[in-house]
Amino acid sequence: MKSLDLVSEAKLQEAILNSRRAFMKDSAFGVGALALGQLLTGCTSPPTKGVPQSINRLAGDLPMFPGKAKRIIYMHMAGGPSHLELFDYKPALEKLDGQECPPSLLEGKRFAFIRGVPKMLGPLGRFKKHGESGALVSHFLPHFADVVDDVTIIKSAFTDQFNHAPAQLLMQTGSAQLGRPSMGSWVTYGLGSENEDLPGFMVLTSGGNNPDGGKAMWGSGFLPSVYQGVHCRSEGDPVLFLSNPKGMSRSLRKASIDAINAVNRESHQHFQDPEILTRIKQYEMAYRMQIEVPGVLSIDEEPPYIHDLYGSNPNTSSFANNVLLARKMVENGVRFVQLYDWGWDAHGTNADSSLDRGFADKCASIDRPIAALLKDLKQRGLLDETLVVWSGEFGRTPMQENRNGVDLPFKGRDHHPYAFTMWMAGGGMKKGFTFGETDEIGYYPIRDKVSVYDIQATILHQLGFDHEKFTFPFQGRDFRLTDVEGHVVKDVLA
Amino acid sequence: MQFKYMISRTSLVLVVGLWIIMSCGDQDRRIDYNAHVKPILNKHCIACHGGVKQNGGFGLLTREQALAITESDRPAIVPGNGRASQMIQRLTSDDPELRMPLDAEPLSEEDIKILENWIDQGANWDLHWAYKPVEKVEPPSPPELLGAVGADDLQKHPIDLFVIDKLRDDLDIHTQSPEADKVTLLRRVSLDLIGIPAPAGIAERFLGDDSHNAYERLIDDLLARPEYGERWTSMWLDIARYADSKGFERDPHRDIWHYRDWVIKAFNQDMPYDQFLTEQLAGDLLADPSDEQLIATAFHRNTSTNDEGGSDNEEYRTYAILDRVNTTWEGILGTTFACVQCHSHPYDPFLQEDYYKFFAFFNNSRDADTAPDYPLLRHFKGEDSTKLSEFISWAGDRMSDEKVSELERFIKTWQPAYHSIEVDSFVRSDLYDTKYLGYRQNGSVRLKQVNLSDKEVLYFRYRTKLSNGIWQWYSLKTGDLVASTTLPSTDDKWKITSIPLTAYFNGKHDLVLTYSNPNLKDPDARGVSFDWFRFDEDLQILNEDRSKEKEFWNLMHLKTETTPIMIENPEEMKRETRVFDRGNWLVEKEAVRPGIPEILPPLSDTVAPNRMILAKWITTEKNPLTSRTMVNRIWAQIFGRGLVETLEDLGSHSPRPSHPELLDWLAYQFMHQHGWHLKSYLKKILMSATYKQQSVANDELLKKDPFNIYLSRGARVRLTAEQMRDQALTVSGLLCSDMYGPSIMPYQPIQWDVPYSRERWEVSEGDQQHRRSVYIYWKRTIPYPAMMIFDAAARDVCEARRIQTNTPLHALVTLNDPVYVEAAAHLAKKMYRQGESTTERITEGYKIVLGTPIPLEKSAAFLALFEKAKMSFEHGESDPKELLSFLPEENDQDLAALVVVANAMLNMDEFITKS
Repeated sequence: MKSLDLVSEAKLQEAILNSRRAFMKDSAFGVGALALGQLLTGCTSPPTKGVPQSINRLAGDLPMFPGKAKRIIYMHMAGGPSHLELFDYKPALEKLDGQECPPSLLEGKRFAFIRGVPKMLGPLGRFKKHGESGALVSHFLPHFADVVDDVTIIKSAFTDQFNHAPAQLLMQTGSAQLGRPSMGSWVTYGLGSENEDLPGFMVLTSGGNNPDGGKAMWGSGFLPSVYQGVHCRSEGDPVLFLSNPKGMSRSLRKASIDAINAVNRESHQHFQDPEILTRIKQYEMAYRMQIEVPGVLSIDEEPPYIHDLYGSNPNTSSFANNVLLARKMVENGVRFVQLYDWGWDAHGTNADSSLDRGFADKCASIDRPIAALLKDLKQRGLLDETLVVWSGEFGRTPMQENRNGVDLPFKGRDHHPYAFTMWMAGGGMKKGFTFGETDEIGYYPIRDKVSVYDIQATILHQLGFDHEKFTFPFQGRDFRLTDVEGHVVKDVLA
Repeated sequence: MQFKYMISRTSLVLVVGLWIIMSCGDQDRRIDYNAHVKPILNKHCIACHGGVKQNGGFGLLTREQALAITESDRPAIVPGNGRASQMIQRLTSDDPELRMPLDAEPLSEEDIKILENWIDQGANWDLHWAYKPVEKVEPPSPPELLGAVGADDLQKHPIDLFVIDKLRDDLDIHTQSPEADKVTLLRRVSLDLIGIPAPAGIAERFLGDDSHNAYERLIDDLLARPEYGERWTSMWLDIARYADSKGFERDPHRDIWHYRDWVIKAFNQDMPYDQFLTEQLAGDLLADPSDEQLIATAFHRNTSTNDEGGSDNEEYRTYAILDRVNTTWEGILGTTFACVQCHSHPYDPFLQEDYYKFFAFFNNSRDADTAPDYPLLRHFKGEDSTKLSEFISWAGDRMSDEKVSELERFIKTWQPAYHSIEVDSFVRSDLYDTKYLGYRQNGSVRLKQVNLSDKEVLYFRYRTKLSNGIWQWYSLKTGDLVASTTLPSTDDKWKITSIPLTAYFNGKHDLVLTYSNPNLKDPDARGVSFDWFRFDEDLQILNEDRSKEKEFWNLMHLKTETTPIMIENPEEMKRETRVFDRGNWLVEKEAVRPGIPEILPPLSDTVAPNRMILAKWITTEKNPLTSRTMVNRIWAQIFGRGLVETLEDLGSHSPRPSHPELLDWLAYQFMHQHGWHLKSYLKKILMSATYKQQSVANDELLKKDPFNIYLSRGARVRLTAEQMRDQALTVSGLLCSDMYGPSIMPYQPIQWDVPYSRERWEVSEGDQQHRRSVYIYWKRTIPYPAMMIFDAAARDVCEARRIQTNTPLHALVTLNDPVYVEAAAHLAKKMYRQGESTTERITEGYKIVLGTPIPLEKSAAFLALFEKAKMSFEHGESDPKELLSFLPEENDQDLAALVVVANAMLNMDEFITKS
């Protein structure tokens, strides 16, 4: 028998455990039911390895092997930031600026918006070597340049999707199509949460829009829905339906949950249904969440020097605020914090999406908080066991975009799946290291190519999972985040 | 009878048999391939020697494969001689480099013995049970036939006989749980049949009726209610992955709610399931299909599409076809088939080629990831409908039946036509935003393989701000000018028009379409956009009556509601289907014809198989999967879990059915006794003692049957997301019973923040927001949150089974979601009115929500809560006025405290659970 049997078996175990705790039930009952439960799974049952101890499991569980990272903050710049402006310096491209693109780069290629023969666009960033590692970072990211010695930069990443939604889905769920569990769901499914009063997988968005891939980006797919990401919002309740109805005090809510649980215990006396005990526990946890979550999800109480460091401001909503919240969340035991910042799609169709204006503003808005995050995690001793990842879903073309064959008034670049730059820090990654290389115009990786699946395999590895063995049985097949691909990029590991 | 009784105990015999084999090594015992061998192969061998990989040239998917010569130049299995078979030798080898399975624990001695005996006995394969025909099964004899016979026993319901048989054999339990009380049954049956508590009249009649058939009348009354269709439609919409949006990127709006209404009506009319499926899969291919039958085909137009700039239309057309294949198999045939896209099935006998044969059935519909979702059925209503039928009847007097029905289809659908996205070879032209063909100055494109035989006119839909655009069609084959026109301005509005062809042409031509316009000043600006093209014979009848000609164009341009539907490609537009190499649509291999896997019964027509032939194959009583899948799904709806738990997969990797004979009995009855009618079939199940049992467990039952797989008691299942909200609206008196129409938007806290989109969630006005959940607007990327928290399907793809969870987020919804708080306020008001004292009011409230008197302990708990609320008001902690914000005309503190109590009542386990 398959997933749900094991899941309901686990549910029973959980409920039996509860009943023991709550009512000191005869232990023979639990053992008897367990033994029978195992019997019932019968001879077709796959091994129970990798199956949740409980469907509501939020207490931590052991990974497959000790991972260097215990938790992760993943910052996804939705839209695809330009590698050519930020990290991947190409002097040759500078020389080609304004010239027509050679046909060899266009033949057989599909672009989202480029048509006909576009012109090459030289880098707008001014590059310098930084830190002891001498990593190249452009003037767009002055604060980040200070922390490059804590970071591994990968310049040879590539994807096979050139539209936002599919490329984002591929990055976060291992499939360009809808319906697969997201990386955060996999990780919380595998590791649980360190704090049972908080969800294990939380999502924060900034930039005025959700990512193009929508809610599927933090969906649980075929994993139980308890593993889906909880989207925290900057306005209203940080977690949906967290506040009590208007006019109801916290203590009155406590009284009403007590009443509900008292009534439900009566029902349990009658029906003897273990599920009722689980429900009682969930109502207790809901109440604890109501108390805990607003504190963790608020930056109001942070000292001024922290706000100065991050550039955060409690009265607004911003990426900086979200980065600070992410630090608070991992500090409080949230396993996977996913940040989406929308607005990186610098096509150059208007000032907001031009590389010298809108893009430059976006860079300024993330630069200080990200550098602050790495410094802050480090000073709190959290960086070593927190994996910080920064990426988009693809890179940008070395050509200037000419939407529908027409030259645009602003400088912008089209989507470019063949090469992009991403970085990782903490959580057992090398420090001050640059990996991979693209050709002289940043079009293709020419050394140490890293696929999206490789990135995922590496992240799972740092958290203690063999991506090939970390599976969930669904529809008669063992599914995994990396589908049938992916290799751990060993060279970037410390 | 005695003999049959023995047969029904087969499972026991097998278990005993297995035990004998294991302990005595008795070689004469027959090994059953499905029961003994296949589980071992699936668990230990199939990953490397199955449908995906055949390491060492050895595969175990079919007998043919398994007996073939392997890379070691001899077969691994020698039927009749286990010891001489390399397979057994490798399993028992001492050499770790040879011993199978490699790098894993060796098989147990028992398992190896089973495999060896099986080879000794001839290594016979057997078809997995789900692929065998559904045969007539007799229920087991009443147990008492072995001893004394009571009158009751002779009348036992067949379902009960199956269940009791198993309870006794497997668990040594000899009686089922007693029947639940009337109030519990009333609530259970109502939730199961109509998804909400029964209307007062029906409830009162049942509770006051002491006659022996009161329960049966209750079922009949509920089956006749319109809410019945709404409840069962919620189930089907998960299969159909119905949504009000298109899925990808901005996930924009799609008008397809006519399909949802069609499903509701189909359930309410008790349309037989075979017809229900046929109309959805191939309604367009029925003779002279009605509008309703065309709407039914929207079933497979619920696929996600992608309008994003730069997305490849063929890629997403292909995506939709793949989704149709997967949905048909998973939702209707209970088989996981998606994996066969890339390789042969890992453990069931389906080859990769089978996937594309099946794909070919769906690969010839006219839809193609166009932005408007063509083909669309244009709904003519009221006066417009009269005009249309008058015109058609006028035309009918002047044209052949065939021609007039083509004409009617053209008016109603603008089809069949070439979508402008089907052109290629762009020169100074483009698919602007990947949606419509647009030209710049002196631009051209190509349209391939257009059949011009018998064609006299070209219809097309276009828009432009400029007049004087010169638009010309040339044949690349002959160089002839095929059509030419000067396009008038349409003031930038879409317009349909027609032009005559320059001459008669024969055969298929690649055509090039050029455009230039002296008025187009900026050579890089877009001069004109096109939507579709259609070549046809001339409608000569219009020449005789100018008023009719005017009417024709009027009908063509009428703005109507639309629904995406299926239309089959005419012969000249047929696509060829090829196998995709490892599932990659860009790498095509050999061509295939429509077909089905060989192990299943054959198609009725192999000469010209199409979607209709497929529908016939799916709905034939010989198809072993269709009926089993559906009865299993119904069972799960009623009992909370299927007889086979994996509703999406009855294949060899699925858990063995808990009651295999019962499953087949049900499937046979559904087809042959009930003629695929759901209502009488449901009634049959609900009349069983198994269904009517009380759902109270005790230590013995929890020990022997912890998950109630053996149905030793009534089911206790948390309500579905829809039932949950609908029930709260019903007991509070808020439910609006309006049926059908565009989807509604109840209050929800999340506004859509979709990039590049102006679509908003606008709360429906008045009591429209209190309609049933089946009508809630479903945006795929941002689904209604309270439903998602309660495990609703996201509807991106077919979801054959919702996996239930129990999390703190559930509590937050029913405690704090304003939808439930509003319901609590209105419930409180009813309580307030119906009682004098607080105790009375609490008693009334409990009666309203659960239909039964409140036990003393619960009453005390709610009374204490009431007092705490009053104290909280007194101390100024809680604010009664705010708690009454949903009842602005009220200001009584007692009522405010009752809101708190009602809110708690709506959170009782018994309220959110079906007992």
